Amino acid sequence: MREKFTHWDSLFALYLKRDWKKIIVWILGVGLFSAGFVSAFEEIAKGQGLVGMYETLKNPAMIAMVGPTPVESAADYTLGAMYAHEMLLFCGLFAMIMSVLHVVSHTRKEEDLGLTELVRSFQIGRQANSLASMMETIVINALLALFIGGVMMSFGADTISAEGSLLFGASIGFAGIVGAGFALVMAQIMPSSTSATGSALGIVGLLYIIRAGTDVSNVDFSIINPLSWTYLTYPFTENNWIPLIFALIFSAIVVIIAFALEGARDMGAGYLPEREGRGNAKKSLLSVRGLFTKINKGVMIGWLVAFVIMGAAYGSIYGDMQTFLESNEMMKQMFSQSGVSIEESFTGTIMMVMIVLVSILPIAIVNKLFTEESRLHLSQLYATKVTRGQLYWTSIGLAVFAGLAGILLAAGSLGGTAISVMGDSVTMDIVDFLTAGYNFLPSVLFFTGLAALALGWVPKLGKLVYFYLGYSFALNYFGGILDLPEWFSKTAIQSWIPQMPMDDFSTPVFITITVISIALMVMGYLGYSRRDMVEGA
Amino acid sequence: MVEKVINLKGLQKKFGKFQALNDVTFSVNAGEVVGFIGPNGAGKSTTIRTLLGIIRRDDGHAEIFGKDVWKDSIEIHKRISYVPGDVSLWRSLTGGEIIDLFIKLHGGGNKQKRDYLIKRFELDPKKKAKGYSKGNRQKVGLIAALSVDSDLYIFDEPTSGLDPLMEAVFQEEVEKIKEAGKAILLSSHILSEVERLADKVVIIRQGKIVETGNLEELRHLTRTTVTLATERNVAEIAGVNGVHDFEQTDNQATFSADNQYFNDILLAATKLGVTKFEAVPPTLEDLFMRHYEG
Repeated sequence: MREKFTHWDSLFALYLKRDWKKIIVWILGVGLFSAGFVSAFEEIAKGQGLVGMYETLKNPAMIAMVGPTPVESAADYTLGAMYAHEMLLFCGLFAMIMSVLHVVSHTRKEEDLGLTELVRSFQIGRQANSLASMMETIVINALLALFIGGVMMSFGADTISAEGSLLFGASIGFAGIVGAGFALVMAQIMPSSTSATGSALGIVGLLYIIRAGTDVSNVDFSIINPLSWTYLTYPFTENNWIPLIFALIFSAIVVIIAFALEGARDMGAGYLPEREGRGNAKKSLLSVRGLFTKINKGVMIGWLVAFVIMGAAYGSIYGDMQTFLESNEMMKQMFSQSGVSIEESFTGTIMMVMIVLVSILPIAIVNKLFTEESRLHLSQLYATKVTRGQLYWTSIGLAVFAGLAGILLAAGSLGGTAISVMGDSVTMDIVDFLTAGYNFLPSVLFFTGLAALALGWVPKLGKLVYFYLGYSFALNYFGGILDLPEWFSKTAIQSWIPQMPMDDFSTPVFITITVISIALMVMGYLGYSRRDMVEGA
Repeated sequence: MVEKVINLKGLQKKFGKFQALNDVTFSVNAGEVVGFIGPNGAGKSTTIRTLLGIIRRDDGHAEIFGKDVWKDSIEIHKRISYVPGDVSLWRSLTGGEIIDLFIKLHGGGNKQKRDYLIKRFELDPKKKAKGYSKGNRQKVGLIAALSVDSDLYIFDEPTSGLDPLMEAVFQEEVEKIKEAGKAILLSSHILSEVERLADKVVIIRQGKIVETGNLEELRHLTRTTVTLATERNVAEIAGVNGVHDFEQTDNQATFSADNQYFNDILLAATKLGVTKFEAVPPTLEDLFMRHYEG
């Protein structure tokens, strides 16, 4: 035993000292995200809000996303029940992901960086580092659990009991510990730290998808899923501590397995061999377009999937929209307008909001060209027959394509889900949704154009486009409530565009903003084609 | 008349208030290997990036193959190969993929040459770039540049990070292209890196060219270190023209001598009865140190 764990306590103390800032941010961040929304939920719960939410969340699409509730009638759906129902799974996921990243960064990543080699040359046990990292993560999650419990209690809401608050916190804390266990096992098996992080997060993602399936079909099966041990405690309703006992036993077993695996492997090596890459490039890579597609692929797929989920989430509300919106003064102000059906006015507003989010992707793709430039990835390419125009317009083209695809997926998924949940009462078809989405295409082009302009003239300011995007988002989202003066709302580009389907399509606006956007791109090109590439400066 | 492949006259470049290049003038002829030497931050890379049209000159005249390096950059790029000093690669692509990409985007690559060079440089092309060391990243850049047929090769500190064995491989490969009559611009902050290959050396310091010439010419600028022992008192030599830094222990003296006064020194020495004579040829390193220290 001595040779394995000697001085793990000094490493443990060192980690706490080294990480204290990170630990504070972690606990405050995850903790406040988990416990801080009680007053906001009290707002939603007013009037018929709880009933509306209950009806909405009974929808299978919603259960697949946030999980089930044990409550069987709307009358029993209290504030506490709603809070746990909507928040617990996501907070648990959040805590799990944080722990995964932390454990891998202290174990396998340090091996990859060569730090472990140095540490092991001292009087430190072979597995002391893993033990210290694991203990640190357990302590952090325990503190997190207590912090969440304390904050929840401090709101003094009727249905948020002391026991429930502690259970809510403890469920999140245990989710973190289970995540740490996965990470520690993967850190032994995989050939590098990146693949360890990737596979551990992959397991978490897989568990989420599996529980979506079992929650919808038969929630009894969810009990074998470690991720389900969070929300199955049902704080504030059933207060069931048993899933946490499962979590405790499970984590202990996983950690023991991890230590056994670690004891039998060499430093820096995993059980799976490093996968060999291609010796030769595929034909599809061998062009500027191929290259840019490849280096943006991860971001593109990630966001496009997010757009689909976002569309489905908003779409699932359509079934009980009447109950849902009528019950809440704030929501009603945001989404309804006299003279049109509530579904149509909701579509108009939510489409504008979604398309703002869709604009993130094209901006990211345009900004990527500058990232590549400042990372010196392109140095050798500048000396080939590839022109600056090719680099620039390929990026812009890819960004525009991503914008088109983003709108298609977001609007299509919103429409598809909405139509399927509305059933017989359907008033709009998929084309209505798609037109409403593409109606906002000029705004996407406008953001792309702004990013392009920055890329050409002052690339360091490319990030500012996100600020303007965030500003427009806030203005669009809360504009309805705040009753802003006309000129002020017009500072957000989308406010110029009529909101279909409640308003009519405006050809002049569509064309004008499109032309302005294209002009921005051309101006950006003029700058890009004649400025110094940053590497010289 | 020899064709000038690179022709630079009075090149100026400022970054904000910082004068990065001040009146840089030199040329590279067809079939010539030119070593471009200077300490870090002297302006080597800035000059090269100007030549490639990556950055734009403020003033002066810069041509490659008789074409303007900014306006006709794409025409020029079809006939040159370049390896940057710090080869930075896409972490998720393998070495092999990146080499293929560079070759394809340059045009006119040779598959056999590529495979041969991968073998020569002992690169594992199936590894992702994030797993490569500095030296291996450098190899990727070099293999891509050497696999294509060009008329001018520009290497910015090409062997940084390579082990001595690989450095030798690189030198052999460069010698081959030199024999094929191509022009090569080889930048470095170490003289020994270019000494073996270069016909001509251009020394840059703080954005200014401080010395240009072939190695022989430069050697003449330096002094030879002489160790001399004589039967009679060697102290007399101290007074001879062209003798500097004279130091004597018993009958033996060490001094540095201007090359053009060798005859005088030898005449004086033979009168004293020479028992030992050693002359160490000038090391260019000394010359560079002198320039480096300014």
